[in-house]
Amino acid sequence: MKLKWIGTALLLALPVFADEVPTITGEAIDAAAARTQEQPRVPETEPGSDEIPPGTPTTPSAEELNGRMESFGEAFTEMRNVVDALNRTKFSGYLQAQYVDDERSQDTLGGTTGTRNLDQFSVRRARVKFTYQFTPTSRFVLQPDVTSSGVTLKDGYVELTEPWTAWKNTLTAGQFNWPFGFEIMYSSSAREMPERSRVIRTLFPGERDRGVMVSGLGLGERLRYQVAVVNGTGTGRSDDLNEGKDVVGRVGYSFGPLDLGASLYRGSDLVATSTNAAGVEFDKERQGIDFQWVTPVPGLGVRGEYITGKQAPASGSTRTESFDVAGWYFYAIQNLGTRHQLVARLDEYDPNADVRNDAVRTIGGSYIFHWDAHSKVMFAYEKPDNEMNDPADNVLTVRYQYSF
Amino acid sequence: MKKLIAALLLALPLFAARPISIKGSDTMVIMNARLAEAFMAKKPDTQIQVTGGGSGVGIASLINGTTDIAASSRPIKTSEVDKLKSRFATTGYAYPIARDGLSVYLNTANPVKELTLAQIRDIYAGRITNWKQVGGRDAAIILYSRENSSGTYTYFKDNVLMGKDFAPRAQTLQGTAAVVNAVAKDANGIGYGGAAYAKGIKFAAVKKDDKSPAVLPTLENVRTGAYPISRFLYLYTRVKPSKDMKAFIDWATGPEGQQLVTKVGYFPVK
Repeated sequence: MKLKWIGTALLLALPVFADEVPTITGEAIDAAAARTQEQPRVPETEPGSDEIPPGTPTTPSAEELNGRMESFGEAFTEMRNVVDALNRTKFSGYLQAQYVDDERSQDTLGGTTGTRNLDQFSVRRARVKFTYQFTPTSRFVLQPDVTSSGVTLKDGYVELTEPWTAWKNTLTAGQFNWPFGFEIMYSSSAREMPERSRVIRTLFPGERDRGVMVSGLGLGERLRYQVAVVNGTGTGRSDDLNEGKDVVGRVGYSFGPLDLGASLYRGSDLVATSTNAAGVEFDKERQGIDFQWVTPVPGLGVRGEYITGKQAPASGSTRTESFDVAGWYFYAIQNLGTRHQLVARLDEYDPNADVRNDAVRTIGGSYIFHWDAHSKVMFAYEKPDNEMNDPADNVLTVRYQYSF
Repeated sequence: MKKLIAALLLALPLFAARPISIKGSDTMVIMNARLAEAFMAKKPDTQIQVTGGGSGVGIASLINGTTDIAASSRPIKTSEVDKLKSRFATTGYAYPIARDGLSVYLNTANPVKELTLAQIRDIYAGRITNWKQVGGRDAAIILYSRENSSGTYTYFKDNVLMGKDFAPRAQTLQGTAAVVNAVAKDANGIGYGGAAYAKGIKFAAVKKDDKSPAVLPTLENVRTGAYPISRFLYLYTRVKPSKDMKAFIDWATGPEGQQLVTKVGYFPVK
């Protein structure tokens, strides 16, 4: 019990350990200015004496000085080239270490991975993003993810930005986030819950695909558009199963504290059915609207997204048409000062609109403590329910994150 | 009950008065330090810490919660507002605190006295490389610029270079004082920065175009808008200022603060 109280007190006192920054004062500025005015003192000699007193610096010839200046110049140029190259290369990244307590866990070596022990420590994400930008009109981005499961490529693309208009239209080619809605493009390092909502995880697994995208920003940077042509298979496979390519895009407009967006996805999936092992083309469609609102309540922000669409059945199905699916999520995030965040999220996913009582609704919440500018701790709890009952599948996550 | 009191005692440092931190623009660092000192002299129970690093660094610190006020010599970008919205559920609050005539520095020995905006653009883009092309001596032009985290760099690039890139041979220096120092020592140098840093160099009179009059960045010319490269200098906050922060910003934008702004070498907002 005593330990509990000490723990509480220490947690409350955490912000005391914040970094201190050096302060610039008017006095310091004056002192620095005075130092630059000071001249080195030369030892005095008898008038008329040819003797050079000890400690007097010998005067180099003009030739020597020129030589030194040239060598300084060469060294400076070399150093500048190195610094310039380093300046053009940027590194950022983050690591998430976590412990998960999942009610579905079973101490058994049999069955599928999903029914085995899930209570464990893990490195959920460990990503380093490399960006090289020589000019403002082109950029190289590479972001691998290194976890205990292996190394995967998350982002890998080149960007070309036209310099002629204020829209800064940009062509992106490679592997990147699907430009759809809000949560897909919102970084996992910034997200206030451990994982994305169920509707996003189901309809956009991996959140990325390979293709080309055109994007731009106009009307006083209030309007943003993104349109992409992609394989449609995501990043789970290295190849594209069908010849047809998918089209996906989003248009968003900012009214200041309120951002609105509308997204569309049109494409198809080639899936083997019980009657056709060579595969049948199923419609793959999504349409959605999203919003983010900075409310008048200090520190309170809300956001949400609603998506409907058509989803292909699993391989080997007897179906001849895609499922009609729908889902949504809603976040409320309350900031308490600069270090504490309280988060509530409600989300729902209906995998087949033609069948009643099969939707899964999850209520979740988290508390986030920002230890400093780079690290934070998240305590999150999620309780998924279907429309008929409440299976034992609640999940507690404690996550530590460092980002730079 | 005893335990509760002990826990509260341990947590007392949380409630201690915390200094207000101002971080960002190197252009504004002297002005902010002077304002902070004058304000603290009036209200000794208020502590204000001022640090530089560049406008980009200041706004990044505002976004990650490590400064109360960001000093910026450029307006906040849309992408930065988006980050503030996501992280703190705010669009931020902007307070113009001074006006600055973004000056073009020349060495005092340089016979060139005036330049058009197009000439300045061509010089920094690398299309004009010799002073004789703009009426000066037959000597190569040495370009001094700022690092890309600087608001001055961004403002100059957006408003003078019109978004075009700097010539690769432009030397990047840390802070306006370093640019002034370099131009003061280099007869063929050219630099740019705040009007408050005028020691040992001269300002080029700037012409909007060939037919316009050449204008120096004086108080009157910046105030009337006759000087073609003028900008606001801002303080940004995450939340609507209250208590000491509000008192400081109100004072800095009021008559006393604006008088000090002028004394440092910048121009009042109104």
